Amino acid sequence: MPSPCRIAVQSAMEHRRIESRKMDTSTPAVFISGREMLQMYSGRRVRTVIHVVRIDGMSIIGKSSDGNELIVRGCPSFPPSHFVEVIGIADAADLSVRSEISTDFGVNFDMLSYNKLCQLANGEFKHLFI
Amino acid sequence: MQQDGNALFSGGGFMPSQTTQITEYGGSSSTKSRSSQGVFPVTVKQISECLHSGDGKSITLGGTEVSNVRLLGLVMNKIEKITDVSFTLDDGTGRIGIQRWVHEQSDTNEMVLVRSGTYVKVNGHLKDFQGKLTVMAFSVRPLTDFDDLTLHYIECIHVHISITGKPVNPSTAISSQIPVSSSQFLSAPNMASKNYVAPSNYMTSNKANSTDLSIQVANIFDDPVNLSREHGLHLEEVSNQLRVPLQRIRDVVEHLISEGHIYSTIDDNHYKSAANG
Repeated sequence: MPSPCRIAVQSAMEHRRIESRKMDTSTPAVFISGREMLQMYSGRRVRTVIHVVRIDGMSIIGKSSDGNELIVRGCPSFPPSHFVEVIGIADAADLSVRSEISTDFGVNFDMLSYNKLCQLANGEFKHLFI
Repeated sequence: MQQDGNALFSGGGFMPSQTTQITEYGGSSSTKSRSSQGVFPVTVKQISECLHSGDGKSITLGGTEVSNVRLLGLVMNKIEKITDVSFTLDDGTGRIGIQRWVHEQSDTNEMVLVRSGTYVKVNGHLKDFQGKLTVMAFSVRPLTDFDDLTLHYIECIHVHISITGKPVNPSTAISSQIPVSSSQFLSAPNMASKNYVAPSNYMTSNKANSTDLSIQVANIFDDPVNLSREHGLHLEEVSNQLRVPLQRIRDVVEHLISEGHIYSTIDDNHYKSAANG
């Protein structure tokens, strides 16, 4: 006889399974290349790649693909000079991103191409992304 | 037993049956299905728009029928079962359900590497299931080079441009015009010589004169009139036609022989193009 707790977990998993069949485009993460785009999407979910410069407490100070400084708050520490992708909420007040998901992209990443992609994804081809 | 039958019928069996259909019917149906044969790199946002504009039967993207897609994104809510593994893929533009049938040990091994919170590249078949589109994956591979992420989205844009019919690239537009404009009898040998000479052109780019000459000589050999001659051409004929000293022709001919473009026939003075047999 399974415990009530187990049944609850199973039904939650089944629910998630059904959920996974739907397509949800309500909370896209917008590609941003740095400050300028961050200000456009303040309060919204964004994604960007930064080159880690230094760690300051709970924040990472990094260089964005457009060459400016960007602060990432609330994500685990990454080694300096690694490229890190951050998905989170943009905050124009202090030019930061509050991290939800962060991924270490390693030490080799083509920021120039990424920067171009951000421009395309916010320009002519925006409708393919958001 | 029944479960096995079901799996063969509706699940993993779709790839072979698709191939046989194409070979069986050929002709008109192959032109229809050709568009959907490739794997389209797409974003979830694009798929969600297919869903809204589709008639329910076939899935179209910008007027092109799409059946196989490539997606790239983060794995969420991975659920493992005995017969399949399913998860939600979040590619930053939206979320879609992915299902991967697990028949063999290799499938299981592949899916063990797929963990929630990691990036994967999914190739799969877009399936309309009770009004909801899901992807039945052929392969799910963890991302090892993160430049593939940038590349994937750039490919999505590129494919979008090509299927919506906007001008892609002037160089491809020009190359596709060549066979159209030279639709005469001469088109085949001309094309052959153009295709052929291109590589040698790069090789001897610093010796522009000799390259020009080698193109001219190759064109003479590729002339349909000369192609039809059993013994090919005498070098003196080439020399006279181009008004170039015989020795220079011999040098060029030697080069063309080494490239496999022409071959000697009855003696060391007669050569024929390999272009037409």
